[in-house]
Amino acid sequence: MRNSLLVILLIALLISTLSILSIYSCTYQRNSKIWQTIYQRQMLWVILGVALFLIISNINYRRFWDWTYLLYILALFFLLLVFFSGSVRLGAQRWLRFGWFNFQPSELAKIVMTIFLARYFSRKSAEDVSLLSGKFGIFRGLVLPFFFIAIPMGLIIEQPDLGTGMIILFLFISMLYLTNVKLRYIIISVVLVILPMPFIWHLLKDYQKDRLLVFLNPNIDPLGAGYTVIQSKIAIGSGGFFGRGWLSGTQSQLRFLPEAHTDFIFAGFSEEWGLLGGIGLLFLYYLLIRQGFLIAQRTQDHFGKLMAFGISLMLSIQVIINVAMNMGLAPIVGIPLPLMSYGGSSVFVTFIALGILVNIDKTRAVF
Amino acid sequence: MIRVKIIFGLVSLMFLLLLFGLFNLEIIHGKDYRGLGDRNCVRLLAQKGSRGKIFDRNSRVIVDNKLSYDLMILPQDSAWQDKILSKVSQILGKSAKDLALEFKRGFVNKSMPVVIARNLELKQAIALDELKVDFPALIIQPNPIRRYPNSKLACHLLGYLGEIDRWRLTKLEDYGYKTKDVVGFGGVEEKYDYYLREEEGGMSFQVDHRGRFTHNLGFKPPINGKDVQLTIDIRVQKIAEDALGERKGSIVVMNPFSGEIIALASSPRFNPNDFLNQDNAAVLRLFKDSDSPLINRAISGTYPAGSIFKLIVATAALENKKINQNTSFLCQGGVIVGRQEFKCWSNHGSQNIFNALIHSCNVFFYKTGLLVGAQAIHDYALKLGLSRATSFDLPYEKTGFVPSPLWRKINKFQNWFDGDTANLSIGQGDVLVTPLQITRMMAVFANGGHLVTPYITKAIDGKYLIKQHRKPEKLNLKPSTINYIREGLRGVINNPSGTGNILSEVGVSVAGKTGTAQAPPNQSHAWFSGFFPFKDPKFVICVLLENGGPGYNSCVLTKQVIEEMIAQGLL
Repeated sequence: MRNSLLVILLIALLISTLSILSIYSCTYQRNSKIWQTIYQRQMLWVILGVALFLIISNINYRRFWDWTYLLYILALFFLLLVFFSGSVRLGAQRWLRFGWFNFQPSELAKIVMTIFLARYFSRKSAEDVSLLSGKFGIFRGLVLPFFFIAIPMGLIIEQPDLGTGMIILFLFISMLYLTNVKLRYIIISVVLVILPMPFIWHLLKDYQKDRLLVFLNPNIDPLGAGYTVIQSKIAIGSGGFFGRGWLSGTQSQLRFLPEAHTDFIFAGFSEEWGLLGGIGLLFLYYLLIRQGFLIAQRTQDHFGKLMAFGISLMLSIQVIINVAMNMGLAPIVGIPLPLMSYGGSSVFVTFIALGILVNIDKTRAVF
Repeated sequence: MIRVKIIFGLVSLMFLLLLFGLFNLEIIHGKDYRGLGDRNCVRLLAQKGSRGKIFDRNSRVIVDNKLSYDLMILPQDSAWQDKILSKVSQILGKSAKDLALEFKRGFVNKSMPVVIARNLELKQAIALDELKVDFPALIIQPNPIRRYPNSKLACHLLGYLGEIDRWRLTKLEDYGYKTKDVVGFGGVEEKYDYYLREEEGGMSFQVDHRGRFTHNLGFKPPINGKDVQLTIDIRVQKIAEDALGERKGSIVVMNPFSGEIIALASSPRFNPNDFLNQDNAAVLRLFKDSDSPLINRAISGTYPAGSIFKLIVATAALENKKINQNTSFLCQGGVIVGRQEFKCWSNHGSQNIFNALIHSCNVFFYKTGLLVGAQAIHDYALKLGLSRATSFDLPYEKTGFVPSPLWRKINKFQNWFDGDTANLSIGQGDVLVTPLQITRMMAVFANGGHLVTPYITKAIDGKYLIKQHRKPEKLNLKPSTINYIREGLRGVINNPSGTGNILSEVGVSVAGKTGTAQAPPNQSHAWFSGFFPFKDPKFVICVLLENGGPGYNSCVLTKQVIEEMIAQGLL
């Protein structure tokens, strides 16, 4: 079934094209050289990403089974490296400099954790498709995997990048659910997450508290923490049905909207492309995610199946949270919109994930 | 696997919610957000036009505008801002701290320019303009402000400027007036505010998130107000006001044929600059002053008419043929009407109409008045323009009052007695008139029987208003009546025993009538009204000194005015 490769690649390229157009639009009025070339850089990331996608889609996904612990250690290593020598931008220590490329290990951690969880809950044998996890006790089904997840998650939250940390936690709980871990364990874990919330409040950084408060009512601080939400809503709202037109958005181009090329690219895009563009973009994402879920359902192999689920779910969560936060329906967290937001790490990781997805489907056909 | 389907279903549901959210933002609230978006990035920098100038009849400037400059600054990063302020403080000689304080006070939001210094001199403005090369955040805004080169001169007929009040706003909202507009109060500034007022123009431009200018969207030049030319001769006005000095009173000079007001002085005066500079203490003093310097006594002050009212009685009697030029009455210093004695101020002996006017004999007019009857006197008073508005241009004109038996009966449930008629005949009792009404009445005898409508506006925006003014109204008085009274008025001046004999030597033939209006318990009001030259009158004049003693005092003032006019070659 090479079919799924073509569909996924096509959708990914369409979204990437919209991404480049949007990045161009919100930066072309700026003076400095760096801003002028930023869309070209995104083009480069997309090209490299597609190459990665093609390579990964030809690597048998079962190899990841063997590489899981290696990958896990690698991800931990990078996260520790960030912790000690990452570069600080926008008040957070999230990036590693490799020459001219700023690498964001938390992006990598997301996909690695997906692979890790898939491996943990499945067997090596491709023939035995029955699920183990149903028989897991509370220790093997909940405590142990949480321990493995908690280490990178803690490092990520400490960066601070609460958003990515929460995504991994959410991914963990969803995977538990999907792997037929007993429901009561899941409920226990959810309760364990929710119960300490009031105490976690005190551990949050001030800006994180602000963001949560502002999410509840953006008008408490319209020029400070609430500014971004308000401007983002204005940007989306002023798009109307047809939008202001490409290169005509005032919110993003005149920089009322911060981060218009990264986390808030959806707002900038909606301002210029309107409801029509917004629906189109969401529809593309929906198609992409649906492909992922379909592949997961088609796959018999437990490892592949869980991995496909994990990847699809990861994409879904990112898209939903990012778009929701653009519309002021979710608190602001540093989660990029996959394939749309500017950033090499995010683009690479997304293409790699899609590559794995395609390979799972391809390999499944071989069985 | 059922759990997968559930998760996928949830994901699909979330997407649907996102779609709904998008629809809600872009379609349901789209218009609001579009407006907010535009407001975000479009700024308006208002630029004021200048208010219309006011000229006198010879195009001499009475009120104009001068340019002052305001310094504005677009909010910047604080370090950069401190640098700008320190540069500016060097030029203005103010401390940077004060400027920063001023900035804080005027700050509205990140992208609105803030005024940090007002009323700068041209020199300072030029110096600041050079700074703009390095600091584009500086904006120097030319700002025309009202200038009164003659200070207090003609203040009453001009009025003053102030922020619009609630009452005016509700009336004028439909004409494009807004809160905080500066409008005229009193006088020409109020009456012709609609023409004088300027229309604000401005520049609209796009700014980025820091309020930095990105590009121009358009410019609408401000429209200056229309100029108003008055019929006033500023030189005569000045002579009149100088003559009045600090005394309370009013002088009106008018063209007897057209009704053009040449001078309209009222005293005490105020300084319109006090309102402009928002000098609150001075303004409060003006409002609290018991001498009411803000009142234009020429049109808003009402006084008993005194002997000047005798002209009405004479006219009524001659017109109704109750007397003729030969009728005489004997004055023995008083007359008994009813049970009361009415006094004359002297023992004049036998008096005909001429002598009675010359000497201002009360007894003659008591008797004539009784012959004519109160109602007829009242009717002629109205005919000659008393007890009603003159339709003068300026606002707040008072109508004055002349009583009549009918009015007394209806409003006071009292009968009218002959004693009241006697009182009315010499302009006492309830009679109240304004100096402008007396001027207008005197003009009837000067121009041969026409009641003119006084006006003060010659042209607006260069267009003459001659057609807009009312034509003089012919009163259909008998020429003989006019002539007899004119003879009498001339006699008042040139007869050695006339009450206005002091004016016989001023170098021009004057005719007129004095009046001493009782105003117990205070001193009486001194009236004089007349016209000159006698044969071919060019000016009617009315002088009133509030509580100024006998009418003689006003004659002295009139003399000063006429002599000064002759000296300046204005006659």
